[in-house]
Amino acid sequence: MIDITVKIGGEAGFGIMTTGLLLGKIATRSGYHAFEYSEYPSLIRGGHNVIEVRISDEKVYSQQKQVDILLCLNLETFNKHASEVKEGGIIVYDTEKIPESKLNKPDVNLTYVHVPFVSILQEHKLSTVMLNNIALGALMHLLGADLNILNAAIVENFARKNQEIIDKNILAAKLGYEKTQKEMPQGYKLKLPKLKNIIPRLYISGNEMIGLASIAAGCRFYAAYPMTPTSALLHYLASQAQNCGMVVKHAEDEISVINMALGASFAGVRSMIGTSGGGFALMVESVSLAGITETPIVIVMGQRPGPATGMPTWTEQGDLLFVLHAGHGEFPKILLAPGDVEEAYKLTITAFNLAEIYQTPVFIIGDKYLQEGHQSVEKSIIEGYKFKIDRGKLLSQEELSKLTEYKRYLITKDGISPRAIPGMKGSLHQANSYTHGEDGHTSEEADVRIKQVEKRNKKAQTFLMNDFQMPVLYGNRQTPLTLISWGSVKAPILQAMSKFKDKFNYLHFSYLWPLDKIKIKNLLASPKKTLLVENNSHAQLGQLLTMVTGIEFPEKLLKYSGRPLYPEEILDKIDSMSS
Amino acid sequence: MNNNSIPPTPASPKPVAPVSEHTAGFSGYFPTWCPGCGNFGIWQALKMTFNKMKFDPDRLSIVFGIGCSGNMNDFLWANSFHALHGRAIPNAIGIKIANHDLPVVVIVGDGDCYGEGGNHFLHAARGNHDITVIVHDNRVYGLTTGQVAPTASQGFKSKSTPQGIIEVPVNPIALAVSQGATFVAQGFSGDMNQLVELIEKGVAHKGFSLVNIFQPCVTFNQINSYNWYRDRIYKLTSENHNPRDLNSAWQKSQEVTEKIPLGVVYDVDRPTYTDSLPQLSGKPLLDSALNIDLAQFINDFV
Repeated sequence: MIDITVKIGGEAGFGIMTTGLLLGKIATRSGYHAFEYSEYPSLIRGGHNVIEVRISDEKVYSQQKQVDILLCLNLETFNKHASEVKEGGIIVYDTEKIPESKLNKPDVNLTYVHVPFVSILQEHKLSTVMLNNIALGALMHLLGADLNILNAAIVENFARKNQEIIDKNILAAKLGYEKTQKEMPQGYKLKLPKLKNIIPRLYISGNEMIGLASIAAGCRFYAAYPMTPTSALLHYLASQAQNCGMVVKHAEDEISVINMALGASFAGVRSMIGTSGGGFALMVESVSLAGITETPIVIVMGQRPGPATGMPTWTEQGDLLFVLHAGHGEFPKILLAPGDVEEAYKLTITAFNLAEIYQTPVFIIGDKYLQEGHQSVEKSIIEGYKFKIDRGKLLSQEELSKLTEYKRYLITKDGISPRAIPGMKGSLHQANSYTHGEDGHTSEEADVRIKQVEKRNKKAQTFLMNDFQMPVLYGNRQTPLTLISWGSVKAPILQAMSKFKDKFNYLHFSYLWPLDKIKIKNLLASPKKTLLVENNSHAQLGQLLTMVTGIEFPEKLLKYSGRPLYPEEILDKIDSMSS
Repeated sequence: MNNNSIPPTPASPKPVAPVSEHTAGFSGYFPTWCPGCGNFGIWQALKMTFNKMKFDPDRLSIVFGIGCSGNMNDFLWANSFHALHGRAIPNAIGIKIANHDLPVVVIVGDGDCYGEGGNHFLHAARGNHDITVIVHDNRVYGLTTGQVAPTASQGFKSKSTPQGIIEVPVNPIALAVSQGATFVAQGFSGDMNQLVELIEKGVAHKGFSLVNIFQPCVTFNQINSYNWYRDRIYKLTSENHNPRDLNSAWQKSQEVTEKIPLGVVYDVDRPTYTDSLPQLSGKPLLDSALNIDLAQFINDFV
């Protein structure tokens, strides 16, 4: 099995992220699986950025602690990360820029490769932004990859630039490649061999996948205010808006974002918004508005560590209970949390259907780890996913014309009322933020109030009957230990499981609300021993499950440093439980 | 976060408003406003305007704010969205983007539009979103029983400012003119004929239009009464003002105390937000097909 982690570090603003992205893309195109994880501060220039790409001929689910190749574009990268490089690994650095006297070399057998990035730039009059291509050229040699694949990626990446810029970048890559070739000892073993069967895969981030899915689902309006980790979803959809006929609006604030989307949805178009915890806090009053006006909306809530501004560019699962309880008053809402890019695709499409079927807010809860990181996924899984666009009880003009009287908030058995769009003949109605009767007019009568409250509550029951999905059990049902988690923690858990198949199984929650109390209680009653794993300090899924079932989770692995869980940490915890 | 003390509940289950040829089709329940409220004049003027413009209630979208003015949601029938306090403008922009063929009118109060939703007002003007914002400006909060509004004169005493308000009032006309609104008018609920003319011009205008309407609150504002306004207002005419001239509009916007102008203060042309989107050049967003070929989007990631 081939399993190589390449880590690239340097100052922010030097194209480190692009280097990592292209490396992952090249590996994916060459038939390998790839997974990317980056760490960077909330700064534009300066500061320390690192990106790591794990490449394997078997499925990779997450990053790992040990690094095979460390490429240092500054001294800080060397001294902070050299100790992560495993025995026999390689460290590439610029001896002319990084003085030997300042290096803290670890006490293991490593190969040091000297590539004078800065003097190569100067000698060939290349600009500093091309440094990342020298680095990529170096990596191409170290991995034994075909330089032509990189050249093709450079041509694509700079498609809008002139030929001179493309040529210079290709030259930079070639120089990096050749210099490394000279420096490397013969016969080292880290290379990625050419694969015979290349399965077409996408290399895509969670944000891009949610965006792609929204295009597939017929989303026609996306509004957002920039906020890490969901800004890249805004960027992707803004770049594609004219190609797919979507209107993408960067509004003045998050309150406007959600209210514009509710207006657009009221007027009949599928609408989505994206934000993070702080921006979502501003939207909360209008989540309640969506609840009472019964207006469909898909809300992408990308978590990052709070409270307040917190750690903007890092990861956490600290907002599950916030989202669950968001919005004053009682109304149904649906919470979905994808664990990887494949789930992000399927659940986003599902979210649009559920929002229109139940005429209520539907959340896609992500985090920095899932949304900003790139993963490879089989193209056929995405292309082959069959779905229908289900607009629920949205009336056609024909259906509306047959009605003798149209009531927007008609009391029905399933709690869902027929929905007309303004502009249709006979559609006259109001969507009312006040408590209202069936015709939408304001009412403070007790019986009207009770009927409408019960009607809205009924939608949750209908959802549990028709659309709720139970958590998925990964691994062997017979193992003595069941890990329980949600969202992106799926990645390190499945990675840990891929090595130790019989140590534990994993119960993955991606449908988080409403929950079927009886079914979940029965399910949780069966494992002999459980370990709750979450990327927060309050064990929020645990609290939610205890609230619903009364079952407690004595064993917990909680991480709240702003970093994602590592498979190694999960295995260590499991070992400590059994000893 | 406005709460009511005066219940907005319609008194009667059936529309009882007088149906005349001027107001037919748009009448809802009879209003629960206080007798003599300036809102009545605006309500009648709106219905007369919509009939005059031959609007179909099915094909007119109105977004109501929260406040006494917003309670018009039950008295004026069209396809409407009764928003949260302060948020009517973004709802209206969303409706317009989804279906730019629908006329979209926003009915709000001074607190709703210039206080709670002030940010939205500025940005809607900048974007030249093709919506018409009708502001009921009575310089006081009525529905929450008499606190100071952002348009109140300095020193105005209210339940929330018993010593008199320290701030100077918001200047809605100057604000709109300076922030890129392309149609700005000021009316008075005591002059219904002029109101009909101003609302019609505002709704017909392609782009962001504001009609700020002085509307005496007979219950909570004893100072800015019908007579107080009648002593100060005068009409803008082609003799005393050119609404296409920014300098003249700015000058008129500064007349807020001794002499107060009524009429069209500013009226210029600029492409609207939806007209500037190539995606919407063929047909409304609502009518675009949902199923598109995904291959081109998927291949970007290979």
